[in-house]
Amino acid sequence: MFRRTGTSRKGTAGPGRSTSSEALRLVSVTKTYGSSDENAVTALDRVSLGLRAGTFTAVMGPSGSGKSTLLQCAAGLDRPDRGVVRVDGEEMTGGTEAALTKFRRQRIGFVFQQYNLLPTLTVEQNTTLPLKLAGRRIDRNRAREILAQVGLGDRLGHRPDELSGGQRQRVAIARALVTEPSVIFADEPTGALDTRSAREVLRLLRETVRVHGRTVVMVTHDPVAASYADSVVFLADGRLAGELHAPTVDAVAERMAHLGDSADADASGYDAPLGV
Amino acid sequence: MFSLAMRSIRLRPGRFVATLLSAFLGATIIMTFNSMHDTAGGAGVDTVSSDTLTTSASVVGGYGTLLVFFAVASTLTVNVRQRHEEITLLRNTGATPAQIRRMVVGEASVVGLVASVLAVGPAMLAGRALLSVFRDSGQVAERVDYAFGPVALMSGLSIMLLACAGAAFLAVRRATRAVATGEREPRTRLRGFFAYGALVAGAGAVSATFAMDATEPALMAAPAYGAILLSVGFALLSPRLLSGVLGVLERPLGALAGASGYLTVHNMRQRAAQLAGVLMPLVLFTGMATATLYMQAIENDAIKASGVAKSVDDKNLETLNLVVVGIIVVFACVMLINSLYAATSYRSREFGQQRLAGATPAQVLGMVGVEGLVLTLTGVFFGTLSGLAGIVAFSSVRVDEALPLGSGSGPGQGQGLGIWLGVVSIAAAATLVTSLGTARRGLRTPAVEAVALAA
Repeated sequence: MFRRTGTSRKGTAGPGRSTSSEALRLVSVTKTYGSSDENAVTALDRVSLGLRAGTFTAVMGPSGSGKSTLLQCAAGLDRPDRGVVRVDGEEMTGGTEAALTKFRRQRIGFVFQQYNLLPTLTVEQNTTLPLKLAGRRIDRNRAREILAQVGLGDRLGHRPDELSGGQRQRVAIARALVTEPSVIFADEPTGALDTRSAREVLRLLRETVRVHGRTVVMVTHDPVAASYADSVVFLADGRLAGELHAPTVDAVAERMAHLGDSADADASGYDAPLGV
Repeated sequence: MFSLAMRSIRLRPGRFVATLLSAFLGATIIMTFNSMHDTAGGAGVDTVSSDTLTTSASVVGGYGTLLVFFAVASTLTVNVRQRHEEITLLRNTGATPAQIRRMVVGEASVVGLVASVLAVGPAMLAGRALLSVFRDSGQVAERVDYAFGPVALMSGLSIMLLACAGAAFLAVRRATRAVATGEREPRTRLRGFFAYGALVAGAGAVSATFAMDATEPALMAAPAYGAILLSVGFALLSPRLLSGVLGVLERPLGALAGASGYLTVHNMRQRAAQLAGVLMPLVLFTGMATATLYMQAIENDAIKASGVAKSVDDKNLETLNLVVVGIIVVFACVMLINSLYAATSYRSREFGQQRLAGATPAQVLGMVGVEGLVLTLTGVFFGTLSGLAGIVAFSSVRVDEALPLGSGSGPGQGQGLGIWLGVVSIAAAATLVTSLGTARRGLRTPAVEAVALAA
């Protein structure tokens, strides 16, 4: 089901991986910002979560609910204070950034709100950059095939500043796909796009799950974006606050509107946040 | 606007350190040499002493002023560019371009004033030391007393104020225009005109050497200026030179340095114009230092070989040459470090993007290191080329030998590669230490934050 063209990678158990049905597992992940007791903010409070391979999950929550922190800890961009993160059955360890980077290279792809494409490289070069950095063999035909699938087959030699926002985000998706990662993390991928480009990007993300068999985790605050996912995980004040399967826009919006209520009931020291 | 200027200096003094440092060094040099005018004007100074003092004051003073202006302008340009956000904010809150100009020029003037005042003490000490050098070598009579008077003080203050205010005015005018039109207008044609002009004039000056007499006292001037002009020409052409060098180095770099080399080539291709600001001081430094030091060494050997004792003029010339080289070294280093620091710290977002795409910190540093190497190679190559032009011309006329590198075939024992190696290692060290040090600091920020900072 995973279209892996590369040969077996060192350090990972070959047979166990492909049968592992869980792409991502968080066990009691806790992250606190600020050092002293008074101004310490618990961004994630013992969050446990398991996501099956080949699923599309949206993570939602109001501002400050810890959804970005969740994504960063799960994706190996930040280290949790406590708890375990497993990607494709492999525990994320490593104290140095280099070790984490090497872990991410093999298993994780990213799509960011601000695209984060390198301005000095062309579309094709941006797409193959992760392979180049990892020292892996570059299959040009495969890269071009993926770029054609995201609708950029005729833009290979363009630079990011010659593309529209939607096109840039599609390059980012192609770049995330080219390494054939276990999990693709998308952080507000439609946050900077108009509604039409946003729909295209969301359809592409859904396709990466349906057609390519990838696992996608998307952080968003937009109920429309979340409705493209198979399920939505809600987060409030650093804790899990429910899950919604086969979400519709209205159902997600309603759930979001009431997330604040439960947070108000829990919080007894400060005022309720205004709006979402 | 002036009170805003004062406040911004008081609250964020760190931003003005580079400008203050170059203004301070500049003021020290200008006042040190201009105090020779004061000293020469003292009672009972004989003509020979007075001549020595006035010549050195005029020559180095003029040179110094030019370099001070360049160095201060370079630091202020960087300063204004780093404050792009603040300037945009001020405009959005209703400041007119003229008000912003007044603020930046006001800040720079205050910095220049402070630097000049701070420089008075060191300039007095340096002036005393310089006079004793002149006295020890017999260029100035023993009984001449040191004086630090109105000429030194006034010239120091006025030149610094003019340099700081003028450089700030130019820098901020460019910045406010860029904000207004959205983009910087390309001025490549004008630049190309100046570049080729400098190259032609440099070649002319170098050729003029051949029309001169071997014993003419001003023989060194023509090739020296030729070398300087050639360096300036190459420096102005550096974006184009850089692309040429990259075309040659692309394959070997990709093969030797892997992903880091690959990123280097693509980055430098696109950023050739920005990197020119770094290449310029490198070419100038290498060219001017090599030319002056070797010519002086050849001259010394030639005098030694002729068996005549050095005259006061010869000694003056040597002192001046060494001082000029010293000043160039200091200022080119300040400019190089400043522009390289700015160029590198500006890129922490780009480094963040590379890290998110899967680059380890070591790969990012590798890329910066390879870039530094390519820059050094290019700068040293063209600097050496222009320096060599001057040296060959001077040497052919002075000792009738194109390249006095040989071991004892000509008069004197020949010049080794020692001086050149010294110059090159200073250039390489300044480039690599600055860029790698700055990049390392940038890498301490987590990649996600580094990307978000400038977004």
